[in-house]
Amino acid sequence: MDAKTKETFIGGKGYDLWLLWNAVKPTTKWNDPENEICIAAGPLGGTPIYPGSGKSIVTTLSPTTATVIDSNVGGYFGPYLKFSGFDALEIQGKTSNNVVIFIDGVDQKIQLFESTGLPDDAYELSATLTEYFAAGKPRSISVVSTGPGAKNTLIGCLNFTWYDVKRKRARYKQAGRGGIGTVFADKGIKALVARWDNVTADTNNPANKSALKNVAKLHSREIVELDPKQNEMRRIGTTHLVTIMNDHDLLPTHNFRYGQHREAPNIGQAVYRPLFDPGFDGCWMGCTVACSHGIKDFVPLTGPYKGQNVFVDGPEYETIAGCGSNLGIFDPHTVVEMNFYCDTYGLDTISAGTAIAFAMECYELGLINETHTGGLRLNFGNRLGALELVHQMAKGEGFGHVVGQGVRKMKEIFAKDFGADRKIMQDVGMEAKGLEFSEYMTKESLAQQGGYGLALKGPQHDEAWLIFMDMVHNFIPTFEQKAEALHWFPMFRTWFGLCGLCKLPWNDIIPEDNKDTSEPAKIMKHVQWYAEYFSSVTGRKTTPDDLIKMSEVVYNFQRIFNLRMGFGRREHDAIPYRAVGPVTEEEYLSREERYDKQLAEFHKVDINGKSTAEKIAILRQHREEQYEKLKNAVYNRRGWSSDGIPNLKTVKRLGIDFPEILELLKTHGVA
Amino acid sequence: MITVSGKSVCWREGMTVADLLKQIDDSQAYAVVRINDSYVTRPNFGKTVIPDNSEVFLIPMIAGG
Ligand code: SF4
Repeated sequence: MDAKTKETFIGGKGYDLWLLWNAVKPTTKWNDPENEICIAAGPLGGTPIYPGSGKSIVTTLSPTTATVIDSNVGGYFGPYLKFSGFDALEIQGKTSNNVVIFIDGVDQKIQLFESTGLPDDAYELSATLTEYFAAGKPRSISVVSTGPGAKNTLIGCLNFTWYDVKRKRARYKQAGRGGIGTVFADKGIKALVARWDNVTADTNNPANKSALKNVAKLHSREIVELDPKQNEMRRIGTTHLVTIMNDHDLLPTHNFRYGQHREAPNIGQAVYRPLFDPGFDGCWMGCTVACSHGIKDFVPLTGPYKGQNVFVDGPEYETIAGCGSNLGIFDPHTVVEMNFYCDTYGLDTISAGTAIAFAMECYELGLINETHTGGLRLNFGNRLGALELVHQMAKGEGFGHVVGQGVRKMKEIFAKDFGADRKIMQDVGMEAKGLEFSEYMTKESLAQQGGYGLALKGPQHDEAWLIFMDMVHNFIPTFEQKAEALHWFPMFRTWFGLCGLCKLPWNDIIPEDNKDTSEPAKIMKHVQWYAEYFSSVTGRKTTPDDLIKMSEVVYNFQRIFNLRMGFGRREHDAIPYRAVGPVTEEEYLSREERYDKQLAEFHKVDINGKSTAEKIAILRQHREEQYEKLKNAVYNRRGWSSDGIPNLKTVKRLGIDFPEILELLKTHGVA
Repeated sequence: MITVSGKSVCWREGMTVADLLKQIDDSQAYAVVRINDSYVTRPNFGKTVIPDNSEVFLIPMIAGG
């Protein structure tokens, strides 16, 4: 990277996008050889003394969205890759030889192995390759792999390992979203393996070690002191969110119809707390949040591991909601088993969960039946049915093969082959841009509808999670305030992806004096620490405002990348109405008082004598109008045209007015 | 006596989470508190009685997730 590129794109996701931009054409498809998988750790990644500093950022052209997807994942691979001498890895081409790529930072060599006879699934493959390459030091190895589900669906994930010294096993985290694992499998790669030896505060070569130590100590100590008094993530991960979301009508149940269910506590923290095996669960060295918990001696009831003792990494909130409540399943064992098999088969738990939920709703609505599902009665709550679909996805067989294409393609198949009604499927199929929604209800939070709908890669909450600010605390009541939040939060959250960081230490443990600050949601004390952290490692003097500017550059570049691939305009920021309001009479009537009140008091509608169907239609019109108004406000704040395209002033201000970008914008009427 | 985020606070029979938050007059808008190992959310503040000798934690939750 030359100095200018380095300054512009920073690292991590920024480098990935720049490499990918230069590798693909507007016509490139996800399974073309020139599509790439790019992995980068970012300039701060691999710092063992600052919490949450070991993330790898992975990008590719997605099989489900057909444009750029990015995923931020733990495990040791990104840091080991960097310490071996590479800021980013760019994988292009294809092979039919089941290749294992070994990046050995210790002996400074790269080897490519053709493999035969290796296990197919990630659970065994991770353990086997860790042992094979470890040379007696398993902690020095990180493996990236997927599984048979990735090959046989479009929603494959990648598993990135870290070695758990106490439990003597390779554990893993997932780069889940958008089918990156499917691209990996399609390229014929069996695994990537990185090897590095000891990691200390010096390994990442910080420009000012003593400044780094000072700021790292402050953040680390604060977490150790406050996490036990706040969410106890070191003990229960993100499982506390289940009942919190449920109480606020935000936990998706039955394909996002409702946000609450009386059985939700059965899959909440009180149940998982005793199941988690206590011990250090940091997915990178020295992370004092250490929230990546697991369950030991779990015995699956189905599938190839039936009756065996296995270790399960997870579950986290998203998996519990996606593979549990959203399927009408409130049995903690089934959730853990779905978690285990999705990881093992290389399937994204969020997309798998949301896709199965859609299939279940279509089944219950009579849009599909047993003749289409191969005899499966896919009612909500059918635990064995859900598990069977996961096993079928892994084999690429039966109805599971159809579900594994993701919600957008399922809608097409159901309409074309089974004659299902397109309009209702459009309303209840929870995907946008081709990506399945992650697991939060947004009906009562306009800002979060934007948080999902305006997210560059599709509805994943890593860009903006504004539900509490908006709906619970009512901190951002106006369109302008929501737009401001939909500017600042996605920009700051993007910055973590540029640098190789985890966002959890920023706002899941909150300083005690935060409440006295003028903008408590931003946790500015931590933002200031992050600026100091960046300065101390890179030697580039940095303020909190600089962090936002760094992200703005890459964020706008990604939006323009989408445009280049045929997306990235206003029409692509559409979301299904299920994310906005009640689609069916059943949904409306379940919260009739709330909706009636809104129509009467907020929208000044005379509801007397109106039928439920009429009220649904009026509410829909108002809510859809509001979403469009929100888009206007956000585009305006971001410096984009009313069609959602960054304008000339914006690209010039950000220094991304490269000739090819100007040319592209011109073809879209921006000059 | 109960502790609230590490500080001792007098307990009284029937005291709810809503009563406690009014009493301590904290400027933050809390949506979640934890009583020992159990999470209580704002919709339940008025109907959740705090047992004596509890450890109560006020959980700032704003833009997480
Ligand atoms: S906070 Fe959790 S997910 Fe983030 S780096 Fe630490 S252990 Fe990993």
